[in-house]
Amino acid sequence: MVRTSRRTFLHQASLATVLAGVPAWALTEAGSAMASSGASNGTLTVVLNPEPPTLVSFANTGGTCVTASSKVLEGLLEYDHDLTPRPQLATSWSVSPDGLTYEFKLRENVKWHDGKPFTAADAAFSILLSRRYHPRGTATFANLDAAEAVDATTLRLRLAKPAPYLLLALSAGETPILPSHLYEADTAVQNPLNARPIGTGPFRFREWERGSHIIYERNPDYWQPGKPQVETLLFRIVPDIAARLNGFRNGSLDIGESSPIPLSEIPNLDKYPHLATTTKGYADNAVVTALEFNLEREVLAKHEVRRAIAHALDREQIRKIAFYGFAVPTVAPIVKSSFPRFHLDAEDPYPYDIRKANELLDAAGYPRQGGGHRLGLTLHANPFNEGFRRTAHYVRSALARIGIDVTVREQDPGSYVRSVYNEREFDMTVSGVSTMFDPTVGLQRVYWSKSFNPKVPFSNANRYHNPEVDRLLEAAAIEPDVEKRAELFKRFQEIVIREIPTIALVQLQSVTVFNRRVDGFSKTASGLRGNIADVHFAQA
Amino acid sequence: MGPNVIANDSVVVADPRGARRLPGATALRSLARDPLALLGLAILVGAAFVAAFADLIAPGDPLDMAGIPLQWPGDDPAHVLGTDSLGRDVFSGLVHGTRASLMIGLSAAGVSLALGVLVGAIAGYFGGRADSALLRLTELFQTVPAFLLVIVLVAINTPTIGVIQLAIGLASWPEIARLVRSEFRLLRDSDFVLAARAAGFSSAHIVVREVLPNALPPLIVTTSILVASAILTESGLSFLGMSDPNVVSWGGMIGGNREHIGSAWFLTALPGAAIAIVVLAFNLLGDGLNDALNPRLRRRPS
Amino acid sequence: MDLPIVATDSAPAVARPPGRFMPAVRRTLRQAIPTVLGILVLNFALLQMVPGDVVDVMAGESGGATMESMRALREQFGLAGSIGERLVAYLGNLATLDLGVSPRYNAPVAELILDRLPNTLFLVVSGLAVAIVVGVLVGVAMATWAGRLPDRALSLVNLLLYATPGFCIGLMLILLFSVKLGWLPANGHATIGVTLAGGDWLLDRLRYALLPIVTLATFFIAVYGRLTRAAMLEVRQQDFVRTARAKGLAPSRVMFRHVLRNALMPITTMAGLHFAALFGGAAVTETLFGWPGLGRLTLDAVMTRDFNLLLGILLLSSLLVVVVNMLVDLLQLWLDPRIQAR
Repeated sequence: MVRTSRRTFLHQASLATVLAGVPAWALTEAGSAMASSGASNGTLTVVLNPEPPTLVSFANTGGTCVTASSKVLEGLLEYDHDLTPRPQLATSWSVSPDGLTYEFKLRENVKWHDGKPFTAADAAFSILLSRRYHPRGTATFANLDAAEAVDATTLRLRLAKPAPYLLLALSAGETPILPSHLYEADTAVQNPLNARPIGTGPFRFREWERGSHIIYERNPDYWQPGKPQVETLLFRIVPDIAARLNGFRNGSLDIGESSPIPLSEIPNLDKYPHLATTTKGYADNAVVTALEFNLEREVLAKHEVRRAIAHALDREQIRKIAFYGFAVPTVAPIVKSSFPRFHLDAEDPYPYDIRKANELLDAAGYPRQGGGHRLGLTLHANPFNEGFRRTAHYVRSALARIGIDVTVREQDPGSYVRSVYNEREFDMTVSGVSTMFDPTVGLQRVYWSKSFNPKVPFSNANRYHNPEVDRLLEAAAIEPDVEKRAELFKRFQEIVIREIPTIALVQLQSVTVFNRRVDGFSKTASGLRGNIADVHFAQA
Repeated sequence: MGPNVIANDSVVVADPRGARRLPGATALRSLARDPLALLGLAILVGAAFVAAFADLIAPGDPLDMAGIPLQWPGDDPAHVLGTDSLGRDVFSGLVHGTRASLMIGLSAAGVSLALGVLVGAIAGYFGGRADSALLRLTELFQTVPAFLLVIVLVAINTPTIGVIQLAIGLASWPEIARLVRSEFRLLRDSDFVLAARAAGFSSAHIVVREVLPNALPPLIVTTSILVASAILTESGLSFLGMSDPNVVSWGGMIGGNREHIGSAWFLTALPGAAIAIVVLAFNLLGDGLNDALNPRLRRRPS
Repeated sequence: MDLPIVATDSAPAVARPPGRFMPAVRRTLRQAIPTVLGILVLNFALLQMVPGDVVDVMAGESGGATMESMRALREQFGLAGSIGERLVAYLGNLATLDLGVSPRYNAPVAELILDRLPNTLFLVVSGLAVAIVVGVLVGVAMATWAGRLPDRALSLVNLLLYATPGFCIGLMLILLFSVKLGWLPANGHATIGVTLAGGDWLLDRLRYALLPIVTLATFFIAVYGRLTRAAMLEVRQQDFVRTARAKGLAPSRVMFRHVLRNALMPITTMAGLHFAALFGGAAVTETLFGWPGLGRLTLDAVMTRDFNLLLGILLLSSLLVVVVNMLVDLLQLWLDPRIQAR
């Protein structure tokens, strides 16, 4: 029975392959995965924290929302660890040479969980929905003029200006494809289906007991026959970090992403032979920890002061202490691991040098006074990751050595967003900026002067304004040629590394902890946050 | 956990003869004979000493990342009680934390007292419409679960020591108000009050100079419990992550090292023990004061 | 002979036994409504002072947003509009018993609360029950041997339970019973994914509930212990007890019938007060044990600025406290007929 299905599948796949974009290995990989399948079995227990507010990620893209959504709802594409696109609901695609027209050939014979057929109309609807409600979609698809279903399996996008990052924005978590026959654009956010989603994915929704767990079950009509090989997906909501650690140790939790256990405990995991970890599967969400300055403050507008602060920080200490070693020091804001072509391999112009730091502050007109204090600054710690908080404490300690008294402010997320972005009552903040899947989408908002907007969080908090940087970023945003784009990004990085409106410190590494009996969850750049159709239990 | 509840197991009756009676020599003497109360007092004096001379006992900044993180007590002679996950010295944290914990307890209790006495005195002494209105207000605040109210109040502002003290104080004043009110209601019809009124003294004078001193005994007892309760509440808040990151407090030490309970549980046990000892001391003292000021109710059977 | 039923507010407490409860109930209802309204306005005003709204938080969680997406969301959630407009709208909905929708969870507030309420109620009521039973027993023991070694030893343990923060005790219980010994689970309220019936279901639930209930109860065991001891010692000296003893009634009968019954007065008063305290304090226990209850929901609601949800929770818990206080009043009336229903 398995043999017949495989042959049929390959037959269908060869028919569906039309244009460029489908590497040969994609087919063979699917084939071999199927060959190793046994009967589908068992329950996979995934730990989730915090509890996602909804199970659909077109409007709310907080971490666990994406994790929960992408198993039920799929995207047009998925991505390799180096961000090369691969087919998911789209089997092939092409971009016109001027970068203004995209055409996608969609997979046939895909059904929604309620039995209705998936068509291009659904894809068009979902992209327009993303443009309207998605936190990044409004920017990603800003240049979109029209999204039309040419026929049942062909989607065409017309843009007013090129958007070289658009092809990377189509993963299940980023732009989920929703059933247009069950959603209305005007009421989409309140649609009750957001709590019991219907999609095309490998798993179907079964139940959600708020505060406790979410249960998904295998989709028997999934378009990849034989997958998934797991019968039930059980998401357990465990807010307490020590309880999560316990759960992994005693085997009640199988897998968790984004560092579910204390990083300090990871070295101790070798006492538990059934557990393993990996840092793969986060390429589409590279987060750089940075110290951002409010340039509207007179003290921090002075380049010497910022340089002095840079000289007082040792990235290696941050890596070791704030992140327990799970970080990679970086001088350039565009990281090497996700964007090897755009990354600038620059030397730190302001290496760790306490003496130099002191000299600069003296020269800038801030001599030491009583008690060795020069000046006082506030530092707000971004609450969305424990590492930021610890980095803030490190910065406090480090700057005390050069006579700067730092007052750390730890707030809950709502207050933090208000203080830093709306009211702008901060001097410095330790924050994380994610380059996401493309620097234009992730990074531009931090450095581009036009993205400064007190009503929008994670926009330009420093109020940095450099016309040359603006020009470079704007040009890169619409440059379809990769080499030219890389050149623009590198020149941009040269400038900001010198001027340091924000100091990039380390790229943090997220860790996935898993029981060795689980496999096949880390095949894409999204890792566990993808649709994990390939997940299975390793043969004993 | 620290709910703001005062276990007031005393029944208080004013001296029937109506004479002015401040907690005087008799009370102090019976306090001096109570070994447990003396123990409590000794601990508190010790804590106050540590708080006052923290900079001498443990010089340096307790928040400084001074050593290798997560060292057990005894591993490194420079850090006798070990270090926490950021490399901060635990001994230094405990010593400097005394100051914050005591201050929070005392200030929060002060806020509660001020508000509670004000409301309770007016309601109890004047009665009538003022009483009904204030009673309603008190009930209002008592019906909202106190800890939830504290959380909301702290979340409105940045969690700093001042805000936390205020929030805890604001959540506990209803009980003081009730206590003061019932005291004043009892006392307002006493002989000496009537005499003072007849002599033409103003209400304010009577309340402050005549009634209040007589209402002090249960208040004093309740205060020590109040301080203990405030310290417990602050530790609960810190456990939930709402503590001031620029000040070392015992609750903050526990909250910040929650995840290391498995391998470095001394980071939880040591500050927890410190809290328990100080809270215990306040309770012992409160019990002793209760016995000393309320000879009617004795712990030892006659 | 049947007395005619005279139900007026001025009816003295000497009316027929059932009648003496009615004034208390009526009084509570009369006072409850303005209290609840007052709580509502107070909380609404309080929440307006909280910085940030739910869309800010969602944007923060998403790692970013745009003006357009935030505006679109705010329109959908009904967050545009002035404070006055929103308060009026909220009160209007309340009149139809509609607590609104939580924008973050995309579900009716009433549903979210009622989902979690039984879990917290179970914890609080069990905790209180355990605390009262164990506390009274401990207090009786202490009073019986008052002044001698058992009393002193128990008093010391009592004080330690009172002084140690509840979550510290909880952490140590987890360390001992869950991490080291592995006897009891440390997280959640039931085994997921299996359907159990009857005795199995009960056993499973009890296993998960044991540690949280004990953690919640420890502080109050100490409180009730001391209360019982003090009340019993005081009452023991009173006339009617001495009379009973003089009459030759056995000491244990004297204890339990007369003394205990009258010592229950302060206990029940405190229980009413403690209900509110427990409800709030459960937030910490629920966080510690991952118990899916109202306390954790409140914390989430505060952190995520979910005002509808928060208002609903504060309203409901206040109502509960009012009801419980009324029940306590009635209980005390029944226990001690000397109390007049005002």
